[in-house]
Amino acid sequence: MSIRFEEVHKSFGPKKILDGVTFEVKKGEILFILGKSGMGKSVTLKHIIGVLEPDSGKIHVDQFEVSSMFTEQGRDLLPKVRQRCGMVFQHPALLDSLSNFDNIAFGLRTPQYREKIGREPSVDEIDSIVREKLKLVHLTPDILSLFPGEVSYGVQKRVSMARTLAPGPEYLLFDEPTTGLDPLSTSSINELINELSRTLKVTSIIVSHDMACALSIADQILFLDQGKILLMAPPSEVVKSKIPLVSEFFQETLSLLPPDWRFE
Amino acid sequence: MIERLNLYLERSGQAIVDVLHEFGGAWLFMGKVIRIYRKTSGYGKPIIAQVAEVSMRTMSTVIFAGVFVGAILVLQFDAMLRRFDAQALLGGLNTSATIREVGPLIISFLLAGKIGAYTTAELASMRVTEQIDAVESLGTDPIQYLIIPRFFGIVLSSVILLSIGLFVSVAGAVLVAQSFSGMNIYQYIASIPRFAGAWTLFEGLVRSTLFSTIVATISTFKGYTASGGARGVGKAVTQSAIYINIYIVLANFISTSLLEWIHDFVYWIAGILGGLK
Repeated sequence: MSIRFEEVHKSFGPKKILDGVTFEVKKGEILFILGKSGMGKSVTLKHIIGVLEPDSGKIHVDQFEVSSMFTEQGRDLLPKVRQRCGMVFQHPALLDSLSNFDNIAFGLRTPQYREKIGREPSVDEIDSIVREKLKLVHLTPDILSLFPGEVSYGVQKRVSMARTLAPGPEYLLFDEPTTGLDPLSTSSINELINELSRTLKVTSIIVSHDMACALSIADQILFLDQGKILLMAPPSEVVKSKIPLVSEFFQETLSLLPPDWRFE
Repeated sequence: MIERLNLYLERSGQAIVDVLHEFGGAWLFMGKVIRIYRKTSGYGKPIIAQVAEVSMRTMSTVIFAGVFVGAILVLQFDAMLRRFDAQALLGGLNTSATIREVGPLIISFLLAGKIGAYTTAELASMRVTEQIDAVESLGTDPIQYLIIPRFFGIVLSSVILLSIGLFVSVAGAVLVAQSFSGMNIYQYIASIPRFAGAWTLFEGLVRSTLFSTIVATISTFKGYTASGGARGVGKAVTQSAIYINIYIVLANFISTSLLEWIHDFVYWIAGILGGLK
């Protein structure tokens, strides 16, 4: 049970975004994907849920080959992959016309969820799941009747996480979850990701620029540069790496940490 | 000099390729929307909701524009017909021109500006803020959830609004003819059947449906395929407005020629059948 990339290539026009990317994330692991902007980190995530089609190469989610699901016949299998994966986007990506309750319940009212549980979920069931997930992301029920535009950006991010968690995914994909947040909210969202990944025992892939967070919660850290993997290793090896970009990231992070910080 | 000429030719060629690419893309998109609509079900409520929303949002503009379209045409025709002492034809000529040509064209331009721009902007912002990706990742086809209700909502409400607009234009024309041209209202109405019959209504309806489909296709297509942040939204809305207007003008020319040909053909067949009797 894992997510596996095999020699995946992707270009947008003349620009190569992924150039033969190969890696594997095992069940229960937390993988951080780090790298500069525009190096293909978000594109990697979007390939997993089949929002983007690779030019070549294979992507496996458990027993399913996502890369072969872009034909008329293959498309029918895509919901099975998406049932397993939940993605938190860089923007909260909440539907403005729906209340926060309906946004969180969105995934519970889809044919995909009906197929997963084998029946139509009742109204009470949806209500109970929504409230449970809301609690998980440390929000109170008073925001449920409000619309996304009526709550702060940090709350929108948490609502977006609750929406992703509601259908019960086995893989959580986070695309720069702390972008646009103040340092306090960033730290609380990072703690939340760690807590969710550990308590729900789900496999998580997190695209981020936050090396400090990666060092503290990742099982593996993957560095992408110019569409290629520079390094994929546990944090203990990353801190010792002599690869210029990796050590540059690490040094930059060290300058932001308290002077007495030590990697454990 | 030759280099400049080459550059100019290259840019012109690229512009033509881009326009054709957009045109082809829009056609394929419309085909996809209709194919998915035919394969799936449960759109009744969302489409009705869209029709209600679009109609309510646009009704006042259409009525306002409709009154003036009819009024302006009456003043123009009256000035011309007066020279030939042919004012008795005013009602028929004005109604025919309004229903067949000017009404659908002007009101469609207004709908393009109001509904088309709104739809493109709404979908494009959803695209650039990843709302469409989120819908897809949660197991819902964005074409089913977002596009089909908007597409058919625009087509249906535009046809309804155009019909209301045309009715108001004709009514506005009658009022202006009576008030400004001093024309007898009964004389005005009596001349209408001489120029505007069932075929005129049919032409108006065909044009309205055609123009509405153009507004629906281009506005949803440009919004759905937008990219590149706030700048991308602006670009999509501008392109949507430009392409809708260009395609409406082209479709107007083609439909006019085609409908004239069909009209002549139908009357030719009717003549032959009449002769046989």
